[in-house]
Order: sequence, then C-alpha cells, then structure tokens
Amino acid sequence: MEVITHERLKETVYLETMDNGLQVYVLPKPGFKKTYATFSTKFGSIDNHFQVAGEEETTVPDGIAHFLEHKMFEEPEGDIFATFASQGASANAFTSFDQTVYLFSATDNILKNLETLIDFVQHPYFTDQNVEKEKGIIGQEIGMYQDNPDWRVYFGIIEAMYAVHPVHIDIAGTVESIGTITKETLYTCYNAFYHPSNMLLFVVGGVDPEEVFSLVRSNQMKKEYKPQGEIKRIFTAEPAEVHEKRKEIKLPVSLPKCLFGFKETKIGLSGEALLRQDLTTKLALDLLLGTSTKLYQKLYDMDLISDGFGHEYNSNPNYAFSAIGGDTRDPDQLLEVVTEAANEMMASGFQADDFERARKKKIGGFLRMLNSPENIAHEFTRYRFRGGDLFKVLQMYESLTLEEVNTRLREHFNWEQLAVSLVVSP
Amino acid sequence: MKKTLFERGSAGHIRIHVLPTTRFKTFAVSLYAGIPLNEDTVTATALTPFVLRRGTASYPETIQFREQLEHLYGAGFGFDVYKRGNYQIVQFRMDTINDDFVSSNESLLHKTFSFLGEVVTKPVTENGAFREAYVASERETVRKKLESIINDKIRYAAERCMEEMFRNDPYRLHPLGERKELDGITPQSLYDAYQQWLQHASLDLYVVGDTTLSEVQQLVEQHFTLNRASSPQYVPAVSRLTDREVRTVEEVLDVNQGKLNLGLRIPVTYGDDAYASALLYNGILGSYPHSKLFMNVREKESLAYYAASRFDGHKGIVSIQSGIEIANYSKALDIIKAQLASLREGQISELEMSQTKAMIRNSLLEMQDSAFDMVAYDFNRVLSGRERPAEELLQQVAAVTPENVVEVANQVQLDTIYFLTGKKEV
Repeated sequence: MEVITHERLKETVYLETMDNGLQVYVLPKPGFKKTYATFSTKFGSIDNHFQVAGEEETTVPDGIAHFLEHKMFEEPEGDIFATFASQGASANAFTSFDQTVYLFSATDNILKNLETLIDFVQHPYFTDQNVEKEKGIIGQEIGMYQDNPDWRVYFGIIEAMYAVHPVHIDIAGTVESIGTITKETLYTCYNAFYHPSNMLLFVVGGVDPEEVFSLVRSNQMKKEYKPQGEIKRIFTAEPAEVHEKRKEIKLPVSLPKCLFGFKETKIGLSGEALLRQDLTTKLALDLLLGTSTKLYQKLYDMDLISDGFGHEYNSNPNYAFSAIGGDTRDPDQLLEVVTEAANEMMASGFQADDFERARKKKIGGFLRMLNSPENIAHEFTRYRFRGGDLFKVLQMYESLTLEEVNTRLREHFNWEQLAVSLVVSP
Repeated sequence: MKKTLFERGSAGHIRIHVLPTTRFKTFAVSLYAGIPLNEDTVTATALTPFVLRRGTASYPETIQFREQLEHLYGAGFGFDVYKRGNYQIVQFRMDTINDDFVSSNESLLHKTFSFLGEVVTKPVTENGAFREAYVASERETVRKKLESIINDKIRYAAERCMEEMFRNDPYRLHPLGERKELDGITPQSLYDAYQQWLQHASLDLYVVGDTTLSEVQQLVEQHFTLNRASSPQYVPAVSRLTDREVRTVEEVLDVNQGKLNLGLRIPVTYGDDAYASALLYNGILGSYPHSKLFMNVREKESLAYYAASRFDGHKGIVSIQSGIEIANYSKALDIIKAQLASLREGQISELEMSQTKAMIRNSLLEMQDSAFDMVAYDFNRVLSGRERPAEELLQQVAAVTPENVVEVANQVQLDTIYFLTGKKEV
C-alpha cells in the first residue's frame, strides 16, 4: 500500500496495484456519510481500431463502447440496478471519448456494493436477444440527442475539425452503426479493454483503505485473468489542418448557436507536459474571454453574447481543441470582434495583475471542486488515464508564469486552425 | 445517526440559519427571498437579481464587480429564480474558500458578507433608480432565456405540461416572468418594485462552514442594512383535487422524438403526515431505475431511453416524462396508465417497497455531505412550517406500508396529458 499525503489540501490518497494489474485508489473523507466509487476502463468512443499484443488487429462498429456500457448492467438473474437498489445504492455509468465509467454512491453496505460493482463489470452477459432489445433503447437515446441543439453544435465543431480521428464520431454511434453490433463484437471489445490492467477503481468517502484493499484483493484472487499484453490503439494519421472551416446544421432554435475553436497542432504530449499545456491554455482562454474581461463585457454590451457564452479546452495525447461560444444574434460579427481582440492581446500580452487574479480564481475553483466526491473520482481517473496527477494541479497553477500563458495564447490562437460550427433555424 | 443541527437566530427581520462544521473547504452562503407568485410582480421580481449582479455602490462597473469575486479566490456567486408551492423564490448563493487553504490576510467570510450584503441592499443607482443601461441589457437577457426554453425539448415539454395543467392558477407562470411584461419595465418602476420586494419578501439566510451563529448575526447586522417591519412566514399550498376530466394537449414542432408528459394531482404536501407515503408512491412509480416506469416502458418494451416521474411536495404534483418514437404514442400511454393502475390496485412487491425505501434512505443520508443540499432540505421546513429533521423522515419512510402507498395511489388524479409531436407527413 502506498500512501500519498497532500498536506496543503488536507487530503491523503492510498494506492495498491493488484497482482492482475488493477489499480485501486482510496481517498478517505472523514465525517462524510457517503461513499462514491468508480470502476473505469480506458475504453471510449475513439477506441474503434486496436490490436492486443499477440492477437489480430480489429475494427469495431461506431458507438460500441457506449453500447457495451448499457449491456453490462444485464446479468442472467436480471438488471443489476435492482441489486444496487436493494443495497441502497444509486448506480450509473457513462461513456466519453476515452473512458467508460461505472459508479455507485451509497451510505450503507459499502463493501457489499463495492463487490457488486466489481463483479458486474467483470461479468459480461450478452445474448442475441438482449443485444437486439438494446438497439431500440439506444435508438431513442440517439434521437433525443439529435433534437438537442447544444449537443449538435458541440459535435459540429469536432466534425468540422477532424476528418479521420474517431473523436468526430458521436459517442453513441448512429442507428445504422449500432445495427451492426452483435454479441460477438461486444465480447471482442470486452476481452480487450476490460482486463484489470486497463482499469482503475477509485473509492472516496467514509471508508477505511485497508478494508477496501483487502476486499478487492480477495475478490480478484477468485478470478482468473491471464496477463495481457499491451493494447495498441490504432489511429490513422489525422491531417494537421481542419477538415471544414465552417459547418452549419439546421434545427429550430431561438437564436443561432455558434461555437468556434482551434484544432491544436501541438499534440502527442502526455503526463505532466499534457497537464501543463491543458492548464495554460485554459488560463489563456479565461484571461481573454472570461466573465470579468473587457472583451466579455464588450460582447455582452453589443448584445452579441448572453449568459451561456463560455469556453473549454479538451485535450488528450492524440487530439486537442478549444470550443468557444454560445447563442448569438450574429455569428460573423461575434467572430470578428473576438478576432480583433485576440490579435491585440497576442501583440500586447496579458497584464501581470490580471494574470494573478485569474490564477487565484482557478486555484479557488480547484479547491471548491474538492468538496465533491464525484468530481474528485472523475477528475482523478481522467488525469490518471492521461498519465497525469490531479493533486499536482494546485502546485502547477502556482508554478505557471505570465510568459508561458502569453506564449500559449500565441501558439493556440492560430487562425489557420480555426473552425466554426453553427446551428441555425431552417 | 448524528444529528445535523442548524442554529437559528435573526437580525433585521432576516431569519438566520447557521450550521457550524469543518467538513468542507468552503463557506456556503445562501439567501432565499420569497414572495407569492403573482402575475403583477413575477416579471419584475425575476429581472431584479439580473440587474443586481451588474454592479453595486462600491463596484459600479460589472468588470469591477466580477474582479472582486476573483480576488476572493474565484468565489462562486450565482442566483436562481424558481417556484416553490405558491411562491416565487430568488436564491443567491456564494461559495467561498475557507481561509485555511489559501494565504489570505483578511477573513474571506467577512468579505463574502460585505459583498453579498452590498449586492442585495446597495445596488448602483442613477437618479434614484437602477442604472438604465443595466436594466435595458438584462431585460434582453431575460427575454432570451424565456425564448430559449424551446431549444431544450425535454424541459420545454415538462414546462408546457405544467402550464396547461395550471392554466387557471398563478402556478402557470414561468418563474422568469412573462415576455410581454418586459418592455413595460423602466429603471424607476423596477427600482420601486425592488424596494417593495426587499421590504416584504420572506428572507432566510443560511451559512454552512467553519463559523458560529453569533459571528453570522454580527455580519448580517453590519452588511444587510434594511428597514424591514416584519419577517413574513410562508403559507404552504393546499393541493385540491378537481372533478374535471382528463385533458389531452397535443403540440406540433419540428422534432425527431416525441415527448409524452403527464401531469397528475396528489393531495399530499410536505407538511402532511402522508408525505413519506407519497415519497414511496413516486419512488415505486418512476424515480429510479428499478421503478415501474423504467422497467416497463424502457426495459420490457424498449420504447424509451428515459421514462420517469417526479413528485413536487410543495404544490402537490406528480409529473411523468418520457421520450418516445412518435408512432408509439398510444402504446406508451397505455403502458404508463397501466403502471398508475397497478399501484392503485396494490400490485406492489415487497422488493419494490424495500428497494425504494433503501434508495430514499440513501439520498437523505447522502444529502448531508453537501452543504447546499443540507440547506435546501432545511428550507423545506421554512416553506412548509413543518419541522421534520432528516432523521425523523427516515423513520417515517421506514414505517410506510404497501397499504399506505395504495391509499396515496387512490388519491392521485390524472389531470393533463401533453404530447409534443413532429410535423405530420402531408
């Protein structure tokens, strides 16, 4: 058992790696009633082409990671939600670009619920019949997202930027792609990505670390896993430039929705370098476009933006992009004003006192995030899968310099890399 | 179970509720201001917090106002406007880092109060009224928010269903007011309405964090200078059944997926002894993945991705939401009605009872890990006049029998069926 104490944050994390490669992290929260646990695999919508060492190269249908997530909840004796409910736990799961997360929160029967979580995720049960039945449910989920303009404009910008990389494929796939999923393709993915060495268990709340480790240890000893070689994720080379400069989708909306952003050219980073680039880019975006900036106020006064205006930066070792925008009466004018202000800022650089204030705000936001067990578990796992450490964020914010942020702004705001996504009424 | 106790006091006719604890990294501060929901005041009251967040006497420019929040380590500041029972509630929230975690020379709690007190009681004014530019631009912001409701079809259908159900009751009003009223609001009329509101609203201030009642009392006296004559109590809503027939409303919009929503009256509210039985009724019907709606509409028939129910214990409403293929309208409606009938007939298994009790118990216990959730639960007491600590509700839930649930089920009355459907083929 490894103990990592973060004194300034008043948090201690315990780690044990099981013999089969499963990493288990425990973060006790004294005084908390609830325990929150996530069991995650590094398998998301982008992992559609892969090869496990010693096995054949495989391509699987779009949306299969999400489909698999749905199907894991079915066991021969019925729906696993019922078991969790009997044990007073609230369970759920979600699939993103690069991970699938199964979770529960509970205040009683913690060890029993933990065992249920581990056992159901480690026990696939797919039949021709239950796979067919799920296609109707997921078909409705896809239909629901098709009607959601926020989702459409967000996916629109990724589709505009990426021609080849599977990040541009909707996480749930399409009605056609999921139509080709069979129990055999599900087992192929399961066997490749649900090996314990590709997974991470995170438990946070009113728990004793040793109790958790001993439960997981004896649970894993009962199951036989052969050592698994490396999973090679195969990505066809993505061109550096954006796929389409501008993408427009028709859907009834009260005002046009506009997102624009830059396709990152500096990719291939991992671990601390990736974290540093992530934080500096976010700080630069906030300094340029945050709610306390002159630009934000100007756009608001010109009635070009409203409360929903925002920005994000999404980074991964093999893709990264920013997305900026919201509802606007005039997308072209919005872009024009932002372009002018960004060019001026790239020339002048940010002010030192603005930089200090923005840094303070980020540190405060990070500390507030630590009040939430859910956020800790999700963020920790996300950082870990990208080779980083969530608890280094505070130190890293403190070590950032104004020069670094200015340089990042100039690097990222490369107009050649700009793409625009719009949703407008038909 | 350890009791969580709010300490109560008051200052300047503001009721004060403080929960001293060191469990969180922040001070959570919430101010609730409630007035009866009324056609004449709903729009001005909704607009008020939007104008208040633009500038105060000390920070008249919005940029200064927001920079000050960033100096407080990015203190979270926000507000919500919503309906509870027959009231329109404006809730201001601040979430500020506890000084222990950052190197701050001054108490961040004191600064938080000085800021929030000024936001609420000392807005920037010109010629004895609100600043004209702020009123004009926030009027547009509220207008855009009202117009954008239609973008999110799930929310739109839910709100339209309630609007139809309460078409002869002030509860039909949207908490953000009415679009047609916005144009008539002037800086002077809004300022007058704001002063009336400050005088007559029920005000409740909550703090959760490392502080004491006496410290908070002093801070309120120092920073909330109001000349209030009384502290009005809330009058709980009485839910009455009607003898009218079920009304069906169909609306056509450009959508892929149909939204089938049902509005039901339930003559049980928070203050009633049968409240725990009503929680069980709603839980068995549709709040959880083991509930009848999820199991039958989704899992058995694959008709929907979501099918759920909600219970509003302040107005006496049960509402049902589902997203379905348009052609499946009759089939889905029949299945939903069959679930309502099965509860009336007492088709409730022991397992459904125990699972639902365990889930309610879990959410009541989990609530105590979140400062704002504890505050929201305690505010039920203020609204209903019924003191019912979570511990007591837990015991009441545990004691509910299937007969109690059937008794509630037989009082539930289907009122409105609302269906949002796509454009018909010509």
